[in-house]
Amino acid sequence: MTGAEVTFDVPIPKIIWGWLVSTNMWAKSIATGSFLLGLYFIKKYPEQDSFFRKWMPLLGLVFIGITLLVTILDLHHMFRFWHIFRYPHFTSAVTLGAWVVSGFVIVLLIAFWSWVSGNKKLLDKIVVPGVVLALFATIYTAGIMGEATAREVWVFPSEMISMLLAATLAGSAAYLIIDAIYGGVLKEKIKRELGYILFGSAGLLAAMFIGELIFAKMHSEFAHKVVEVLAFGEVAPFFWTGLFLAFIVPMVLVGIATEKRKYEYAFLGAASAIVGLWLIKHAWLIAPQCLPLS
Amino acid sequence: MRLGFLVDLSRCMGCMACAVACKAENNVPLHSWRLRVKYIDQGEFPNTKRHFVPLRCNHCDNAPCERICPVSALHYLPNGIVNVDHERCIGCASCMMACPYNAIYLDPLTNSADKCTYCAHRIEVGMMPACVVACPTHANIFGDLDDPESEISIYLQQHRDVMVRKPELNTHPKHFYVRGSTVALDPLASERPEGYTLFTEVKFLDHIGGH
Repeated sequence: MTGAEVTFDVPIPKIIWGWLVSTNMWAKSIATGSFLLGLYFIKKYPEQDSFFRKWMPLLGLVFIGITLLVTILDLHHMFRFWHIFRYPHFTSAVTLGAWVVSGFVIVLLIAFWSWVSGNKKLLDKIVVPGVVLALFATIYTAGIMGEATAREVWVFPSEMISMLLAATLAGSAAYLIIDAIYGGVLKEKIKRELGYILFGSAGLLAAMFIGELIFAKMHSEFAHKVVEVLAFGEVAPFFWTGLFLAFIVPMVLVGIATEKRKYEYAFLGAASAIVGLWLIKHAWLIAPQCLPLS
Repeated sequence: MRLGFLVDLSRCMGCMACAVACKAENNVPLHSWRLRVKYIDQGEFPNTKRHFVPLRCNHCDNAPCERICPVSALHYLPNGIVNVDHERCIGCASCMMACPYNAIYLDPLTNSADKCTYCAHRIEVGMMPACVVACPTHANIFGDLDDPESEISIYLQQHRDVMVRKPELNTHPKHFYVRGSTVALDPLASERPEGYTLFTEVKFLDHIGGH
């Protein structure tokens, strides 16, 4: 420190993107993760595809609907949202995201119609564009964060991988919760596989977040301060609770569930993962906004 | 033409005439600023120094706000100014997230993004920006960076201590400081203690825009 203090300044904005944006990222993880995993399980276990043919579009539409709702609510000119299609600026990841998510909604509507009409071939036709759009819908927020030059720790390439893992974590957790609510309709091997995906995603994500705590601070002074805010500052309760609920609890409970074949534990672990994911995403979003930029 | 700004910090006396002129010229609402002057005190009595730093949009050549704006509401003018189209803005605040200089605000009256435009409307009719006219010590030097005979170009050629804010971010600001220091230009180089600022104890705004 230089022994200097700001003795006069105007109040400056602090939290610009708040809980609506955290909810956007969280809901999008569930929507895209359930779509990607749903397709995977439909192809791998065609004998029990009816569960996924039903819940893949339903989960996708509900949670992408939440994503779109909070996105529009967060606009200060919400009735001008159509400008993004009328005056698109394609260097912006926000624009790319809006177009990709719109395409993804069309894919989900087709998947929904495929389930309602029982036309399985219709779903087969949208597998490739669906996977591409779901992947891009998952990671475009990493592009937005990368373009937010001011907020270091978001600009690392690991953000993209982190979002993909968040999608597989949320998607597997969502299916485990629905299976538990409906009294365990899925075969045990599918539940076990969902458990492995949840366990693996939680483990890798935990490693990435802890890795960022250790290594991000070496990147720059700003990143160092952000890590301090995350670990010890005002968002630390969100960060540590999120880390515990999203990664540690699910790994333990899903581990017990698959070992002991007691799948009620998997339900608890999945619910914990869903809650924890929102908390940790919120902490990650808020922390870089707590520091003055000028 | 590539318009740029230079502030000679050794001339600035923190009178805020520039900030007031900017507010009046551009009808900037309460709790919003296109240009502000920050005071930073350094050292311990009797060896103390006060830095005055006028802060405004840097009109970067590689502007993150222009790149992230989803509807091109932030756009370059042919003279290099990064301008705002209030009617096109959707109020997503991406520009505020992207700007590393905290230079953009959401106008609470219009709900659109806004910022210093180097008084583009005045320049259009051959006048200087309001802050340049109001400065009693001619600390603000404004002109065409492409013209080697302009005052700003000559100033840049004659001074070896030219600085920009956050050069590592590759934004290529067209706003320069002469006789500055890390303390003056790096926001993390000084503390922001609670309750010890002049005139106000509010460090951060609770709201942005009118939403």
